[in-house]
Amino acid sequence: MNVLEAQNISVERGGRRVVRALSAALEPGTMTAICGPNGAGKSSLLLALAGLLPTAEGAVSLGQRALESYPAAERARKVGYLPQGADVAWDVSVESLVALGRHPHGDARGAGRDAIATALAATQMEAFRSRPVSQLSGGEKARALLARVLAGEPDWILADEPLAALDLAHQLRLIGHLRSRADAGQGVVIVLHDLALAMNHADRVLVLDEGALAADGAPEEALDPAVVSRVWGVEARWLGEQGARALVARG
Amino acid sequence: MTSALSKIGVCAALATLVSACAPANETDAPASNAPGSLTFVSLNPCLDALLVELAASDRILALSHYSQRPGGSRIDPSRLGEFSFTGGTAEEILALEPDVVLASVFLAPATRSALERSGVRIEAFDSPRTVADSVAQLERMGDLAGNPDGAAALARAIETPLWLSEATDANRPNPSVLLWQPGQIVAGQETLIAQLIREEGFTSQAAELGLAQADYVTLEGVLNDPPDLLLVAGNSAGQSHPALSALTQTQVHAFDPQLFNCGGASVLDARRELHAVRASFEAPQP
Amino acid sequence: MSRASLIFAGLLALLLPLSLLAGRVWIDPFAGTPSAPNATLILVELRLPRALLAVAIGAGLGAAGAAMQGYLRNPLADPGLFGIAPTAALGAVASFWVGGLLPPALAAWSLPAFALMGAGLAMALLTLIAGRSLSDGASGSGGGIALFTLAGLMIASLAGALTALAITMAPNAFALSQIVLWLNGAITDRSWNEVWIAAPLVIVGIGVLVVAARSLDALTLGEEAALSLGVDPQRLLWLLIAGVGLTVGASVAVAGIIGFVGLIVPHLVRPLTDRLPSSLIGPSALAGACLVLIADSAVRVLPLVTELRLGIALSLIGAPFFLWLLLKMRRGDMS
Repeated sequence: MNVLEAQNISVERGGRRVVRALSAALEPGTMTAICGPNGAGKSSLLLALAGLLPTAEGAVSLGQRALESYPAAERARKVGYLPQGADVAWDVSVESLVALGRHPHGDARGAGRDAIATALAATQMEAFRSRPVSQLSGGEKARALLARVLAGEPDWILADEPLAALDLAHQLRLIGHLRSRADAGQGVVIVLHDLALAMNHADRVLVLDEGALAADGAPEEALDPAVVSRVWGVEARWLGEQGARALVARG
Repeated sequence: MTSALSKIGVCAALATLVSACAPANETDAPASNAPGSLTFVSLNPCLDALLVELAASDRILALSHYSQRPGGSRIDPSRLGEFSFTGGTAEEILALEPDVVLASVFLAPATRSALERSGVRIEAFDSPRTVADSVAQLERMGDLAGNPDGAAALARAIETPLWLSEATDANRPNPSVLLWQPGQIVAGQETLIAQLIREEGFTSQAAELGLAQADYVTLEGVLNDPPDLLLVAGNSAGQSHPALSALTQTQVHAFDPQLFNCGGASVLDARRELHAVRASFEAPQP
Repeated sequence: MSRASLIFAGLLALLLPLSLLAGRVWIDPFAGTPSAPNATLILVELRLPRALLAVAIGAGLGAAGAAMQGYLRNPLADPGLFGIAPTAALGAVASFWVGGLLPPALAAWSLPAFALMGAGLAMALLTLIAGRSLSDGASGSGGGIALFTLAGLMIASLAGALTALAITMAPNAFALSQIVLWLNGAITDRSWNEVWIAAPLVIVGIGVLVVAARSLDALTLGEEAALSLGVDPQRLLWLLIAGVGLTVGASVAVAGIIGFVGLIVPHLVRPLTDRLPSSLIGPSALAGACLVLIADSAVRVLPLVTELRLGIALSLIGAPFFLWLLLKMRRGDMS
């Protein structure tokens, strides 16, 4: 069904080629992490997968159909995108913030209420529904922003570094929410800086290096110490057991 | 000391433009030319009109730029082609080498002192506040232009109220009139136009209300206390408001601001206009 | 109707009849027979159209301000940022030059007509620039809106410079003072004619902004998030240009430049709403109407020799308010 597939795509930004001839077919019901050093093109790839950045070559398709050919609202109902950072221009309440996720459906005050409530519940934000965003902690705000994406009930959730600036407990909590979405059948793609989180929680990891795919596969293979050494230029070693690994790296 | 030095400096600098540096003090300047042969530059539209009326056009080196535009002064538009015009800077004036510069007393001080330093004779005229002022101004201009007879004839014409010349019935009413000038202000009683309004058989509403020169009159004020005649000389929103045409007790006439800004022949124009307004007021209403 | 809308609609319903009492002439509302000559004329031909004009202008500027702040995601944004007001003013100033050449019947309409042409010109320029800046922005820098705003500011400065040029070259001192006075907006002695010009344009303009409102909400989360929610940035920008152009252009055409309303009003309204642009536009229109009506009633009764210009009065209120906003934002208790 709703496979999200990049077919040999290249992406240009500001005249620079930031994603090069990349192909990957992503399955619903899985959580895919995009990893790579700074400037490797992770965010650009995510934007292209979300249909928000035109491809210079190749195409992204959703369910065998070119993403470009979807009307904007329909695409928005199918692919949810959580940008990096916690930029909220107005000091709205959590509930109003989450309700913005119903924008492509246009039913925030009608049928969409259930979806909003479900999204608040799924992120354990019900108690905060009437609190202004400015009075939330970093972790609460990140959950509220995720709930906004969930409220749209998209088939795909694409999140750009949703765990940045969160403490350990909140990181685990948020990635747990994303994990449960994947387990419920939605497709999840997240850009992750923390390789250990990718290693322990993702089903699949795409490693980007200068815009090209350096590795692609299950975390244990894609984040093999040899790959990490080559791409990040550090000496790396994984400790612990599968599912609970920690990374030791030396420059 | 410094001013003397700078004067020399200015003279030196202008030496290439002006043939000679004349003595700086205008009162000492000898009337080297006989009356009627002086050349003029005028810097004021009222004086422009007066000069054109009284002097030969070959004596007029330049008029003010205000008169360049038809309707900018009282000068007949068909005659504008005969004249040159000046922006009024000292440099332009000096280049023309006039014998006399005619200017308002409000000539910019910097221009005035630049001209004085260069020895140009300046004749400054104040705005006439009475008909007598205007007559005196006419005579002064007539003497300068070497045309005292022309000036005297014009003076006689502007002195005579048109209304009195035909006032057979001493009981003719004196309708109240409000002259509403640009910016919705009124003229004071000590002005030429106020004298003309009185002499042409009107009572001034502004005087009755105790308004002074340049007092502001609102549209609401006019509607609240309407005069018999409203002479509108401005085009602000209030002065062109449709409500004015809805007035039943008041006749509204447009009045050209040119008619009360200057003396000279304009006075006669103003008398004729007021006379016409009066005639239309006294005519039976349809 | 939201709480904020109800509050400001109620206030407006109270202010409108009260404003009819404000003026240089006292008209007793309870006198059976008219208490002043031409009292009916004064009420119906002077004060009523003036009050409605204040409502139309205030509503347009308030709604445009709320929309602009939503679009630029910045509480300090003002409808003036698009450069529409200065360009409309330039058109109006041009009419002081051309007006004399037209037959009197047309001359009366030349000022609003030229001002609207100026606003239209600014809108056309903005639309041209919009096509470029947004497609560049989409290529990744995310600076589409910022670029576009700078373009608007450039249009504003160019129009301002040309207006200054027109002033220095005024045909005579009288025209000059008229232009300068006119630039400090006012609605003194306006008539039904001006109401018929401004009100329909403002109504359409506010309607256009209301259509844009939901997309503005999506912008709360940033340009990329809005894009991901299905917002068409090109369409949004066109709606904004049309809405702000109609409301601001119409108000400049009949009243001259009236600043600060669009800046202040959304701040008065925001605490009463959920702060999203869509819930601000309607109440801001009503609150803007109240603010301009109050300010205009105040200038009518202030015991000054001539009437204080409405534009000056609002700037006297607006500038300190703006400063207070800046200080408040510096303390960081604002969003």
